[in-house]
Amino acid sequence: MTTLAASSSGRSRWWQNRAVRKFMRHRLALVGMVMITALTLACIVGPWLLPYDSLHIDLRARFAPPLTGQHYLGTDPLGRDIAARLLEAGRISLLVGFAAMLLSTLIGAVIGVVAGYRGGWIGATLMRLVDAFLAFPSIFLVLALAALLKPSPTMITVIIAVTSWMEVARIVEAEVRSLREREFVLAGRMLGLSGAHIMFREILPNVIGPIIVAATLTVARAILLEAYVSFLGYGIQPPLPSWGNMLNGAQQYLDKAPWLAIIPGLTITIAVTSFNFIGDGLRDALDVRNDRM
Amino acid sequence: MAAQNGTTRRSALKLMGILGATGLVAPHLLGKPAFAADKAAPSGRIIVGISQEVTVLNPLMVKIEVDDAVHFSVFDALFRVMPDGTIVPNLAAEVPTQDNGGISADGLEWRVKLRDDVKWHDGAPFTAEDVKYTLELIVNPNFRSWRTIGHSLVKDITVVSPTEITWKMERPFAPYMSFLTETFMVPKHILEAEADPNTAAFNQNPIGTGAFKFQNRVAGDLVSLVANTDYHGEGPYIEQLVFKYIPDGTVLYTQFKSGDIDLLGRQYITPDNYEEASKLPGRVVTLVPSSSVECIYLNNERPQFKELAVREAIYAAIDKSSIIDALYYGLPESVETFMPRTSYYNKADLPKHEFNLDHARKLLDDAGWVPGADGIRVKDGVRLAFKNSTTSGNQLREQLQQFMQQTLREIGVEMTIENLPAAVIWGEFWTQSQFDSVVVGITFLIGADPDVTNRFHSTAIAAQGGRGSNNSQFKNARVDELLEQGSRTFDPEARKAIYDEVQDIIRAELPFLPLFSDNSARGWKAGIEGVEHNGNTRSESWHAAAWKWVG
Amino acid sequence: MLVFLLNRLWQSIILLVIVSIIGFLVLNLMPGGPLAQFTLDPGMTQADIERLSEQMGLNRPLPVQYADWAWRMLQGDWGTSYRDGAPVLEVIRRHLFATLLLMGSSTVIAIALGTWIGIRGATHQYSGFDYAATVGAMIALSIPTFWFGLIGIYVFSLELGWVPAGNMYTIGKESALNYLHHLILPSIVLSLVNVATWSRYMRSATLDVISQDFIKTARAKGVPERRVLRKHVVGNALLPMITLAGMHLPSILGGALVTETVFTWPGMGRLFLDSLGYSDYPVVMGLLMFSAILTLLGNLIADIVVAMVDPRIRLG
Repeated sequence: MTTLAASSSGRSRWWQNRAVRKFMRHRLALVGMVMITALTLACIVGPWLLPYDSLHIDLRARFAPPLTGQHYLGTDPLGRDIAARLLEAGRISLLVGFAAMLLSTLIGAVIGVVAGYRGGWIGATLMRLVDAFLAFPSIFLVLALAALLKPSPTMITVIIAVTSWMEVARIVEAEVRSLREREFVLAGRMLGLSGAHIMFREILPNVIGPIIVAATLTVARAILLEAYVSFLGYGIQPPLPSWGNMLNGAQQYLDKAPWLAIIPGLTITIAVTSFNFIGDGLRDALDVRNDRM
Repeated sequence: MAAQNGTTRRSALKLMGILGATGLVAPHLLGKPAFAADKAAPSGRIIVGISQEVTVLNPLMVKIEVDDAVHFSVFDALFRVMPDGTIVPNLAAEVPTQDNGGISADGLEWRVKLRDDVKWHDGAPFTAEDVKYTLELIVNPNFRSWRTIGHSLVKDITVVSPTEITWKMERPFAPYMSFLTETFMVPKHILEAEADPNTAAFNQNPIGTGAFKFQNRVAGDLVSLVANTDYHGEGPYIEQLVFKYIPDGTVLYTQFKSGDIDLLGRQYITPDNYEEASKLPGRVVTLVPSSSVECIYLNNERPQFKELAVREAIYAAIDKSSIIDALYYGLPESVETFMPRTSYYNKADLPKHEFNLDHARKLLDDAGWVPGADGIRVKDGVRLAFKNSTTSGNQLREQLQQFMQQTLREIGVEMTIENLPAAVIWGEFWTQSQFDSVVVGITFLIGADPDVTNRFHSTAIAAQGGRGSNNSQFKNARVDELLEQGSRTFDPEARKAIYDEVQDIIRAELPFLPLFSDNSARGWKAGIEGVEHNGNTRSESWHAAAWKWVG
Repeated sequence: MLVFLLNRLWQSIILLVIVSIIGFLVLNLMPGGPLAQFTLDPGMTQADIERLSEQMGLNRPLPVQYADWAWRMLQGDWGTSYRDGAPVLEVIRRHLFATLLLMGSSTVIAIALGTWIGIRGATHQYSGFDYAATVGAMIALSIPTFWFGLIGIYVFSLELGWVPAGNMYTIGKESALNYLHHLILPSIVLSLVNVATWSRYMRSATLDVISQDFIKTARAKGVPERRVLRKHVVGNALLPMITLAGMHLPSILGGALVTETVFTWPGMGRLFLDSLGYSDYPVVMGLLMFSAILTLLGNLIADIVVAMVDPRIRLG
């Protein structure tokens, strides 16, 4: 944090390079990077390479175990190819994860910066709001909102974002509060720059490190949340596959078709682990204090 | 009604027709005298596994299906409906009919004689005062009661003697007899002392006249009952009856397999487990016809569905046999009507559904629905696209939806799936007809009575200011007329003719698309005897008094 | 101290009000409602539904309903459940035991295992063990809890038959052993995330302590390593963990919710989902307030304990 503030005045490239170098030395982060890139590529390209369409129903082929003919990962209860669905689902789940991250980071950063810079009753009110949201079991808000809004990938994204911005807001608020009285901010104020300019042009770039770290972990969290909500049937609607709704129903067939549960779950774990690895690497590279998991 | 009893049922109903009565005057089948002598001390325990939690213990308060299991065991109604549809006395001494003078010739005056040997679980005697209190409580405007259909027509309730009660009806209403088999009597001497019947202590600790006394409830877990050794009817033979709540179907079945539960309640055995279950050693597994009909409910006010040709085409494009054979493992039976297969009023010779995509396309072509650029048909600016909803998380229905979606696409019809949580979909979305179409399992009859005014009469459309559950917004003058006539008619044969015509019209008009009726797989341990299916009730435990362990 | 307490109390009350308003709003804006479960009943007409809505006060304007709820709440009346008519506090109390049992046992596992892994990782920094623990913890944090539960059921119940697939006990065979048998799998599943979090924190807390002067002094004085660990390191490292335990209450509660769903555990998580499914507003609101109060209390107690244990931290 201190390093960042110090380096703020001259936005030179050297720290960037240093961070990149540090990141590259972080073996786990590299592993995560490679895994997530591979997964993303597979999801983008894969569906065109597979012999089956993810939506094609073939009741004669239901419950084929993995490695049956060209169904490399088997088929689901409607005889659809799981490999095709898994990759198609990846597009949606990853997209929802990323979009939710962007949105929640945006909300969190704005609220955090405003609360930290303004302080006083505005800051106090905003931070109480953060506390209030944190006091909810997040699954409550997600389920209630999913019932309130008609489920679609966009809505799920919004819902996840609305329930996961608090962490970022807290981090940013704390950082901004500590920067508020620093020389460059005071200088900006003397120069008569507007509050908004100081907040978003001068201060925000200095807290970008913690935001990036938090954002990476938010992607991981968003993927998990989407999976759980869709698993309960409140999320992405069929026939569109998502990693979560592929698990929906797997419990019923656990005995006869365990691959229905194993394959998507494993994929989720791999994706989320990758993001957590990357987040960890970024934290080291950007010198963000390790005060959360 | 059990299908195998077809002949007995038919002849019994003929007899009813001759008598011109609502119910058959049955001998004291369940009466004490026949069984009192050889009544051994009850022994053993039966654990019933159910997938929904028992919620309401007061049998008159608004409740859900699963609660019936407890109510049928702890309480008694004046009459009992048997599996074959005949109505026999329970707390009443006989079934009033127009023939025996219990119901006046115009159907307006009712006189019910009661048993004199019935006691509440606390020892107080059951009398006509309790019946009067019960019937009045149901229509008490401050009481959160369950169904009020029929009860709201009752007036001038008079206690003639402790064992005799009379009342008048505002208009002749034949279904009422059937409703009374589900109207459980509550004790006046206990409830009267309570300030507010909605929050009475009785609601947590019910006292009835039934074969079992309430023992305790462990929230989120079970309800436990113990034998009432002073029961006035047959049984009970078992000492303890437990309803265990197991929310997950897989766990429910696993526990049935492992023997942790003795008898499977609601949700029963899922179709995919039936084959395995039927081979389990030491378990009795049978298929029983369900009285509910799985259907695609259409909102007939939507421009897409206004035309009969469209409804017919969609119906013809549903591959029923693949759905039944593959998705439901061949268990359900395709049906063409709302009337349960086991009902005396079921019309068997309705036109049979035929899966034929070419026919479907032709119907749409002839009606002027032309495929647009995206392959979806259009007519007068209306795209032949609609949403289909059902309860989210219902696996089998979701599979059915996706399968239908694929076939409909082939005839140029676009169906999108939009499922909603139970508390949302069955709220205004359903009652105010805000849906395009839903997949729903509906029990159309109230008890065993064939009256469906609530579902198909044009004045029952809530979305148009009506007060019933005609959610498909079906309107047909002839059907209205027939339904009105049917509810005034007591003679079963005359009613059969009426409801046959109703079924003919509904099959031709297709306000909803009937898919199939389930054969639910019931199971219990081989040592249990006396379990009988009764399609006229909503519970497998409608007569747990007769259950016993043998061997 | 008193000023601090009063201040915190005041903030907590405001927080509870905000929580209750958000909760109430979200819950009531949800279409459908508590009467939806009755509309498929063949004999329930629209007239019946409207009558019930009137009787239950569901057709009143939202602010009125909220004011009514809040006013009763202030008098200690949490309302009665729409589902079974029992008072909300009673409903919560009935489900509390199952959840506490599950949370308790999983916390014990998490603390025992987490502390051991954390300290060992710190004292053997950059060893194979440390590395494996780090990677393991990250993977553990990435596994969807419900999926882990499913796989656990598949392997240990369906395939191996070692433990039951769900429920808290077998009827008719209730014994401590039977409860324990049912408890094993869900508490392991629930503790997974907590072991990971706990061990990570424990590791960094231990590292902090180890690098401090008084430890170096102790070592220099020739105090045996085991004793240093036991007396100084563990004691001092555990301190921040107390705060952590308080802060983690809601997440453990949330985890319990998921675990209870998969294992059909009759606790509060199950109750919460069921009540939400039935739109049993009084119970859902009750559970929300209950968990919010618990969270705030956890934070508060953590602060106070830390302040009392460590005089260096001043409150205020």
